Amino acid sequence: MKLTPQQIDHLYLFTRQHYVEWYDLQSELVDHLANAIETQWQENPKLTFDEALNIEFKKFGVFGFMGVVEEKQKFLGKKYNRLVLSHIKEFFTLPKILLTITATWALFLLFKWSRFNGEFLLFFYVLLIGFAFYAIIKNRIQRKQQINKNQKRWLFEEIMNQYGSFIGAIVFPLNFLLNIFNHGNRFLSNDYGIGFTSFFLVLMTFLLYVMFVLIPSKSKEYLIQTYPEYGLTKQH
Amino acid sequence: MYKNLMYICNSKYRMKMKNSQLYKGSLNTIILKLLEENGKMYGYEITQKVKAITLGELNITEGALYPALHKLEAEGLLDVEIERVDNRLRKYYKLTETGTKETMNRLSELEDFIRNMQSLVNPKLEF
Repeated sequence: MKLTPQQIDHLYLFTRQHYVEWYDLQSELVDHLANAIETQWQENPKLTFDEALNIEFKKFGVFGFMGVVEEKQKFLGKKYNRLVLSHIKEFFTLPKILLTITATWALFLLFKWSRFNGEFLLFFYVLLIGFAFYAIIKNRIQRKQQINKNQKRWLFEEIMNQYGSFIGAIVFPLNFLLNIFNHGNRFLSNDYGIGFTSFFLVLMTFLLYVMFVLIPSKSKEYLIQTYPEYGLTKQH
Repeated sequence: MYKNLMYICNSKYRMKMKNSQLYKGSLNTIILKLLEENGKMYGYEITQKVKAITLGELNITEGALYPALHKLEAEGLLDVEIERVDNRLRKYYKLTETGTKETMNRLSELEDFIRNMQSLVNPKLEF
């Protein structure tokens, strides 16, 4: 006996109720549960759908699907980190390395010759932070709309939208840059300090560009690469 | 090879309570070996195949199988293929080129391990 389309829909709902909100994982678990229920019916046709489902769900252990979800999140998180780093590496190979050198050099000259180098430093940082928060808020609104429209959600898309473990890159440098600003006499009065600070700001700009502009603009491409089913399914 | 696989599976089954590390270590190799022999397989099929080979002595738990499959996929050893079967999507796993090479390495490591363990467990003492 095969499961009806309604029972398949019920299995999708069941996975959602057990904290699996992503279509990629849901599909795999639904197929697993469906196969297992059909096998149970072969052995014991008197079992109801719900009874068979409960027996199969118990096999996932006390934490249910959580283990499967957490592990998948971990692997896809690493994949996202590798993706970000590979884009950052591009800024250190030809031709983009020319941009990196030029930008660092321009900042170096500005910090070296301006009396207000500390203020410029903070200005650039505030600009970057402002841009980052604008991108995060815009993204949140889009995600809420997506959830409200009941669009299919993909785990890798979620990780791209949460920026993996790089989100700390926005706030982490605050303390560091404030220290440079407060001790400007020491850090911004020698070429090494100015060079390092300029390079750091350029690196941070590239990181934010990759996280908030480049990867989101190519997100569909990455989803198609990650999920062969992405193109097969309707997004609603 | 199945004899070896059965040995590992059975040993694992007995050792599961005592030492889950041994089990974890061999699960990936079992998956790779099954995929090498069967081409492409889906998760449920793997659990059933292992059950059949080991005559029901070993049940790969669902909670361990999928993380292992996802890990092998993330490492680039497995590739996935999706097919629509009976109103639902089915995710098939198959070995990549790297996966095929890695399977050979892991199997030979496993065979060495089994040989060494057998020598240690049942030493042939010569005087």
